Amino acid sequence: MSDKAINSGDSDELQALFDSIVAANSGPAETPAPTPAPASGAASAPSAEPAAAVTAAAMNMDEPARSMFASIGQLTRKVHDALREMGYDKSLEKAAAAIPDARDRLSYVATLTEQAANRTLNAVDVAQPLQDKIESDSEALAAEWDKLFANQLSVEEFKQLAARTREHLKTSANNARATNSQLLEIMMAQDFQDLTGQVIKKIVEMAKEMEGSLFEFLVQFSPAGSPAHKPAADLDDSLLNGPVYNAEGRTDVVTNQEQVDDLLASLGF
Amino acid sequence: MTDKNIRFLVVDDFSTMRRIVRNLLKELGFSNVEEAEDGQVALHKLKSTTFDFIVSDWNMPNMTGIELLKAVRGDPTLKHLPFLMITAEAKKENIVEAAQAGASGYIVKPFTAATLDEKLGKIFQTLNK
Repeated sequence: MSDKAINSGDSDELQALFDSIVAANSGPAETPAPTPAPASGAASAPSAEPAAAVTAAAMNMDEPARSMFASIGQLTRKVHDALREMGYDKSLEKAAAAIPDARDRLSYVATLTEQAANRTLNAVDVAQPLQDKIESDSEALAAEWDKLFANQLSVEEFKQLAARTREHLKTSANNARATNSQLLEIMMAQDFQDLTGQVIKKIVEMAKEMEGSLFEFLVQFSPAGSPAHKPAADLDDSLLNGPVYNAEGRTDVVTNQEQVDDLLASLGF
Repeated sequence: MTDKNIRFLVVDDFSTMRRIVRNLLKELGFSNVEEAEDGQVALHKLKSTTFDFIVSDWNMPNMTGIELLKAVRGDPTLKHLPFLMITAEAKKENIVEAAQAGASGYIVKPFTAATLDEKLGKIFQTLNK
């Protein structure tokens, strides 16, 4: 019985202390009074009464013993924890050290993605006017060529048109080349994906590790029955959640613009 | 036909997103675009300059988009301005909240140029009624 009571501790002193307190409290009455087996007590009514009296006495004795039990249990837990604290300290230290690292990695991701976006947008800014020029010049020349085919141009005008067309073809080639180099630049700007992907993968691993050691720590140190491993879903109640990274199984979010429109329409907006 | 010279205020704390929205608006023929990095700056600009259209993110420091929307709707000189929300906030609660606060439209990120075009068109249609 006492073995069972202290099964979480390894201390002989505590075991002895516990035994002495149990003995002092229960006195002559045997604490581990076995509850009457229903099969044996069923036969005779007179024997059932003393058995009940013994059980009641045991309950009375149990009350102070129980609070002692609780305090000793806590003491034992403290010793137990102290012995193992070193190990947990290490895992917590590791977890704490991982946080600045993760922070750095994340700002690296932020920097890289911002750079890539700017690089891409810059390339578009350069390439668009080149394309616009090709478009507008081609349209103007095409209109003149239409006139020529409608016999509306003089020989002199035709000569000018031919010269301008020749010039246009050269410019267009140059613009196309320049545009191509911007497209290449846009392509190259996507290299952030590879880099950030790797970094994010590492952060995910780190988070997993951190979660593991913190969870273990919480299980050991939190009072029994406390919700040590409750997902942070409760924190999600605000209206500032950012992008939904996993909409699976959720009914409180929309996943595309149509759903937004449908919801608004259903509300009369 | 919509006046292409109307003056837009694009509010987002991410400069890249402001650039993208600005470029998309330009693509749609609207090149009169100003930017603000949060609701506070936006409100200041709205009070000192005249704008015809607000496009705003939700989640921003200092003053969020929904706070800006409420401030705009509560200001007699600004309350008539069309207010288009473009945000990554995709909870139904958010959409309802924005609609009730008087948003003229709601676009969830990531979005396409076609979506922006459609929403703008819808808002202008309502305005011209």
